[in-house]
Amino acid sequence: MKSRLLEYLITFIVIITINFALPRIMPGDPFLQLYSAGGETTVSYTEEQKEYFISYYGLDRPAGIQYFSYLGGLLKGDLGFSYYFKDSVASMIFRRLPWTLLLITAATGLSLVTGVLLGSFAAWRRGQRSEQALYLFMVTISEIPAFLVGLVLLVLLAAGAGLFPLAGAITHFSRFNTTWAQILDILHHAALPVLTLAVARAGGFFLLVRNSLGTVLTRDYMRTARAKGLPEKRIRYRHALRNALLPLVTRTAMQMGAIVGGAVLVENVFAYPGLGRLMYEAVFVRDYPLLQGIFLVLAVAVLAANLLADILYRKLDPRIVSAFKAADSPAVKNRSGN
Amino acid sequence: MSILTSGIKSSTAMAYRSSKRIWRNLSLMGRTATVILIILAVMALFAPQLTWHPPDASSGPALAPPGNTHLLGTDDLGYDLWSMICFGARISLLVGLGTALLAGLGGAFLGIAAAFRGGWLERIIMRLVDITIVLPDLPVMIILAAFFGPSVRNIIIVLVLFSWAGPARLIRSQALMLKEQPYIKMAAHYGGNFFYLLKRHFFPELLPLLTVSMIRLAGMAVITEASLSFLGLGDPTSRSWGLIINHAVSFSGIYFTPFWKWWLLYPWLFLTLLVVSLALVGRETERLADPRL
Repeated sequence: MKSRLLEYLITFIVIITINFALPRIMPGDPFLQLYSAGGETTVSYTEEQKEYFISYYGLDRPAGIQYFSYLGGLLKGDLGFSYYFKDSVASMIFRRLPWTLLLITAATGLSLVTGVLLGSFAAWRRGQRSEQALYLFMVTISEIPAFLVGLVLLVLLAAGAGLFPLAGAITHFSRFNTTWAQILDILHHAALPVLTLAVARAGGFFLLVRNSLGTVLTRDYMRTARAKGLPEKRIRYRHALRNALLPLVTRTAMQMGAIVGGAVLVENVFAYPGLGRLMYEAVFVRDYPLLQGIFLVLAVAVLAANLLADILYRKLDPRIVSAFKAADSPAVKNRSGN
Repeated sequence: MSILTSGIKSSTAMAYRSSKRIWRNLSLMGRTATVILIILAVMALFAPQLTWHPPDASSGPALAPPGNTHLLGTDDLGYDLWSMICFGARISLLVGLGTALLAGLGGAFLGIAAAFRGGWLERIIMRLVDITIVLPDLPVMIILAAFFGPSVRNIIIVLVLFSWAGPARLIRSQALMLKEQPYIKMAAHYGGNFFYLLKRHFFPELLPLLTVSMIRLAGMAVITEASLSFLGLGDPTSRSWGLIINHAVSFSGIYFTPFWKWWLLYPWLFLTLLVVSLALVGRETERLADPRL
C-alpha cells in the first residue's frame, strides 16, 4: 500500500507539473496565442491584462522559483484569475461543480442499478434466447460514446416529443412556489443528461455482473448452499449476488476517469452548466487559467477516486491482497513456463 | 524499425493465409461489422472518385435536403454533405490507424523490453504506465489540444502519448510468461540478443494479442478525435465527422427545423457505424485470438 500511495503522489506531482509547464512550453508565445485566439471569437487583451498575465505566471523570474510560487498558490486554494469572465477561477469552479456532481452521482447510481438487475437476469438465464438478445443489445449500446447517445435522446425526446427541456439545468426567470417544485424542475432538466451517461455506462456494469456472477455460480459453496436446501431467493441474493458484486465497487471508482470524460461531453450536448460546459466556454475564448483550473480539479478528483478504489479493493476482499502477493512471487510467474 | 516492418510483412502474409479461416469463424455480427469497416475504408480511400462536389467549398444552395445532386444534402454554407463525410472518413481512418500502429507497436515494444530486461527499466516503464492510465483522458486531451493548437498531427501525437500504456501493460504480462518458456530460454542461451528474440519469438507470439489491442486503440482514437472535434477542438482545416456535428449543433434552433434530418443525422450515423463496428470486430478478434475467453 505504501508504494501505491507513493505512486499516487508522483502522479499528482506530474499533473501539477503538466499544468505548470503547459503555458511555458506551448509553441510560440502565450500572448501570441492569446491575441490570435482561434475559433469564432476574437479576443483582445489590454496592457493591464497582459501585465497581470506576466505577473501571474511570473515569467520574469527563474523557473524554479516560479514553480514553487505556483505550488504555494495552489496550497492556498488560489487557482488564478479568469480574465475573460473577470472572476476568480476557484469560485467559478465552485459554482459549477454541484451540477457536474449531480450528473455523475445520479448517472453512476442509475447505471449500477440497471447493470446489476440486467446482469443478474442474464446470469440466471445464461444461454437462453432472451439473454442472448439482451447481451447483444447491451454490448452494442455500451460501445456508442455518450455524446452520440445524448444527441439521439435530445432529438427524439426533447425536440421531437417535447418531453424534456432542450438545455440548461433550471428554468430561467421563473419563480418556484415551493422547494418541491424547484426540485422537480431540476430533476426534469437533469433527466436526459443522466439517462445518457447511464446508458453509456450500464453496458460495462452489465457485462461485469454477468461474468462475475457466472463465475460465482460454478463455485463449490453454491453447491453446498443448494445441498443444504436453502430457498432459491436466499441462494441467489445472499450467496451469489453478494459475492459477485465485489468487483463492481472497485470498477465504479476506477471508471471515474471515463465517466468524467463522458460528463464533459454530455454537458455540452445538453448545454448543462457544469464543469464540462465551463471547460468548453473556456476553450472557446481561450481562457487558459480557467481551463487549467478545471483540468486540475477534474484530474485530482479522478485520482482521488482511484485511490479510494485501491483502498476499498483491499478492505472489502482480503483474498485479493494474498492473491496479489502470490502473483508477485516468482513461483507463480514461473508456473506457466515449466 | 526494420525489425518491426519485416515482422509486419511476414504477419500480413500470415494474416492473408488465415483470413479465410477467420472469416469462417466470424459470427453474423462480426461479418456485418467487417463489411461496414471495409465500406468505410473504401469511402475514405476513394473519396475523390466517389464525390462530385468539393468538400471544402460551397457547391449549392444552403441547407438543401438530400436529393439527386446533393446525395445527403448540404449544410448552412452549401457544402455538400456526402463529400464532407467521404473526406471526413479519411481523418477518422488516419487518426485511428496512426494511433493504433504507433501506440500499439510502441507500447508493445516497451512492454516486451520491460519484461525482458527487468530491473530499473521495468520499474520506470511500469510507473509511467500507472501514471498514464490513471490520468483522465479527455480533460488531458482537451487541455493539450487547447494549448498546442488543434491539428490532426497534434491530435495523433497526444493520443499516442496517452494510449500506449494499455498495450504496454497487457503485452508485458504476456511477455513475462513467454520469457520463461524453455525454447526462448534456449534461444537466449545460444546467444540470441534482445532484438533477435523480439523479432523471432516475442513479436510473432504476441501478435494476435497485439492486434486485439490495436483494434481497441483505433476505436478509442476515433471516439476521442470525434469528441475533441465536437467540442470545437478539431482540426479546423479539415472536415471531420465530429466537426460537422459540432457545426450542426451550434446552428441555433436546428432541432426545431428539419435540417437535423440530414445535417446531424448522417455524420452521426457514420460515426456510430464506425465506432460500433470497430468494437464488434475487436470483440470477435479477441474471441478468436484467445479461445479460452
